[in-house]
Amino acid sequence: MGIGEGMSKDADLVRRVLAGDAAAYGGLVAHYRDRLARYAVRMLGDRGDAEEAVQDAFVRAYRSLPRCDDPQRFGPWLFGILVNRCRTSYARRARRERVVLHDEPASLVAAVASTAERLEWEAEIVWALERLDPLYREAFLLRHVEDLSYDEMATLTGAGVSALKMRVLRACERLRVLLKETDRV
Amino acid sequence: MFERDDDTLTDVTARVAASLKKAVRLDPALDARVMAHVTALPVHRPVGSLGRVWSWLRRPRTLAVSPLAGLAAAAGIAAIVFVAARFGRTAVTPPAGDRTPVEFLLVAPRAASVMLVGDFNDWTASATPLHTAAAGGLWAVTVPLAPGRYRYAFVVDGKRWQPDPSAPPAPDDEFGSPSSVVTVGGTL
Repeated sequence: MGIGEGMSKDADLVRRVLAGDAAAYGGLVAHYRDRLARYAVRMLGDRGDAEEAVQDAFVRAYRSLPRCDDPQRFGPWLFGILVNRCRTSYARRARRERVVLHDEPASLVAAVASTAERLEWEAEIVWALERLDPLYREAFLLRHVEDLSYDEMATLTGAGVSALKMRVLRACERLRVLLKETDRV
Repeated sequence: MFERDDDTLTDVTARVAASLKKAVRLDPALDARVMAHVTALPVHRPVGSLGRVWSWLRRPRTLAVSPLAGLAAAAGIAAIVFVAARFGRTAVTPPAGDRTPVEFLLVAPRAASVMLVGDFNDWTASATPLHTAAAGGLWAVTVPLAPGRYRYAFVVDGKRWQPDPSAPPAPDDEFGSPSSVVTVGGTL
């Protein structure tokens, strides 16, 4: 699976935490923080909500750790918690104004013309991504950004493989249409 | 970036994905906040051999049963029910006063107050406040509940109603706002 490189190291850390060494959980947080942050920010489109979702996912995973049946699969198990957490968070804040995110420090933006163009393109992608149905966006991110197989996606989301394939296809088609509207495709 | 109108769907997808794969950095203090929450929670205890057996027994499993075996099992259950009814036996239920402490948690760093509302307190917003258990917005309260299934939600800052992100959603909602479900053990 794309999530969970270093599975044996994960398993060792999980066993240490379950044996009472809470500090060992810090190793798991450090290992998965960036991966979870990327998914949450892309999925929710709001940095504050993403931070809250990631933090909550880590805390809930710690509390539920005895129910993680296979310590070597901690990564996929943790990611599943985040995917569900993001679904809830998105539903909750659907009425709130969304924030378009740029991941680069502002000082870099105007330095080079090509950089400015690249940032514009990235903003358009974020704009288009936020206009996808949340289920399509979730499927697109899991498949094409997190590089999961359809079987892995089915395990995480509870949806069938054929439904997930259709969501990914619809997401790709919709993204192309939306980006075409911005004259970038 | 894309000059041609006939770019394939694959090209667009690949370029979009490449952009979205860029690293995203959140607050560097996130790790410390998570660990502050974690260290405020009870430390996990090693599970002994008895605990492992109990965990194994409680784990859900999928059984493949042929139609013939299913019919035989149904007949067996029907026979047991018949015998129990005939001899006046009833299932043992836990006493009504047997309550289990249930901990409700919500991470809401930007909240000024969080209340728990549910079937068990007649959806009274002021009855069950949550308290901050650690810096960074972990809210918690423990409520003793008798065996049963309860619907509940959190009320943040006195106005924002939200379900528990870690719990199953209630299947329908006559209140017009989403809520969650918690099941407390017993013979349900």
